[in-house]
Amino acid sequence: MKAWKVTGIILVAYSMYAGLMSDVPRLVILNETIRNLYFHVPMWFTMIALLGNSLVQSIRFLLSGQDGSKVNLNLDLKAKNFAEVAMIFSLLGLFTGMIWAKATWGTYWTSDPKLNGTAVTLLIYLAYFVLRSSIEDFEKRARLSSVYNVFAFVLMIVFIGILPRMTESLHPGNGGNPAFSNYDLDSGMRMVFYPAVFGWILIGWWISSIRHRLDILKKEK
Amino acid sequence: MLRVKAIKTIFLWDWELEYRRSSGWFVSLLFSAIVTFLTSLLIKHPSPNTWLALLWMILIFSALQIANKTFSANEGQYHYINQLVHPLELLIGKSLSSSFSTLLISLLSFLLFSFWIGFPKSSDYSMPLIPLIVSISLGSVALSFTLCFTSAIAAKVDGNASLMSILSIPLLLPTLLVSLRASKLALLGEHIEQIYPLWIGELSLCGLSLALGAILFPYLWRS
Repeated sequence: MKAWKVTGIILVAYSMYAGLMSDVPRLVILNETIRNLYFHVPMWFTMIALLGNSLVQSIRFLLSGQDGSKVNLNLDLKAKNFAEVAMIFSLLGLFTGMIWAKATWGTYWTSDPKLNGTAVTLLIYLAYFVLRSSIEDFEKRARLSSVYNVFAFVLMIVFIGILPRMTESLHPGNGGNPAFSNYDLDSGMRMVFYPAVFGWILIGWWISSIRHRLDILKKEK
Repeated sequence: MLRVKAIKTIFLWDWELEYRRSSGWFVSLLFSAIVTFLTSLLIKHPSPNTWLALLWMILIFSALQIANKTFSANEGQYHYINQLVHPLELLIGKSLSSSFSTLLISLLSFLLFSFWIGFPKSSDYSMPLIPLIVSISLGSVALSFTLCFTSAIAAKVDGNASLMSILSIPLLLPTLLVSLRASKLALLGEHIEQIYPLWIGELSLCGLSLALGAILFPYLWRS
């Protein structure tokens, strides 16, 4: 087993143990739910990292047939698998966030920019999967869905970027609410938070690459 | 090298075809007229928020209606066109012609909308119309630029209309949010200094869609 996979396991195991057992600041309303920071926030970092790689693979696919050589369909397959796993992470982030919202805001779902941003991200990538499944021809599918992936990713980032500036928000880091990093996240929490983010990205990467290898094996069979 | 003449030809060719087929944008106009009339029967004296929501819903579906037809010519025609123009020239010409028709339809729907539904009743302020019209125009042009590209994708998948909506509606949200904000400020009679940053936002979203389209379209179009 490669070193980065071991690192991923160790970091996630450490963040789970330390996340539940270590000392955390006692803040009003948040109370013990502040521990969710170690589980909820890394999901989003992982989602963006995986989607970023999906974008890179799509661009590589589009560039691959340029010099008259054959296009590399595996790159597109990789883009799809990374996007799929990223959607799993976004669902996990959504569920952990909903539990947290119930505890602190009193409701599972509000019309909050962060929540709407997530909903739109899910819609965009579900559309990407629908687009893939509605094309029979392999090469055409790869080409069209790569093009859509690049187009959609950029507009999604724009959307996530401008949305909080257009509406009010309860979510930390938006609409005048301080993000945790401003003053709440003390150095003890950083020691768990950053390893958790890094560990989950590695685990997500690992799951995606296993799925990708499985798909290639299926294709060859 | 982009040739202005080629873009112009594509643009005029599109308009001539639209004009000859009476089913062209007359259908879109009738569509938005029917929807507006239906809305006017269902709601009386909406609040500013409801008013804007209804207006933009109508505009978005009219824009979708037009975009559905943007790349709907048959394979053979494109085989011929591809011999003559570069894909980029095709995209720009098509974007311009569809944004032009979206703009016309939007303004006409806005006219019908204000005629049948009127403006929000609670208005005890004087509202200049020009900022509202500019916000709506820029917004609908920005919508149609994004839609033009997704309609090219959908056309390659044999122009499935519902696929087109699934692909494009989530992507329209940034434009829609900015336009909604701009038209809301205009409706509330804010000073123009408050609104024009949002107009710049609408324009830059146009530019972003066009730039992305320009980069990606050649990959999409080669077959």
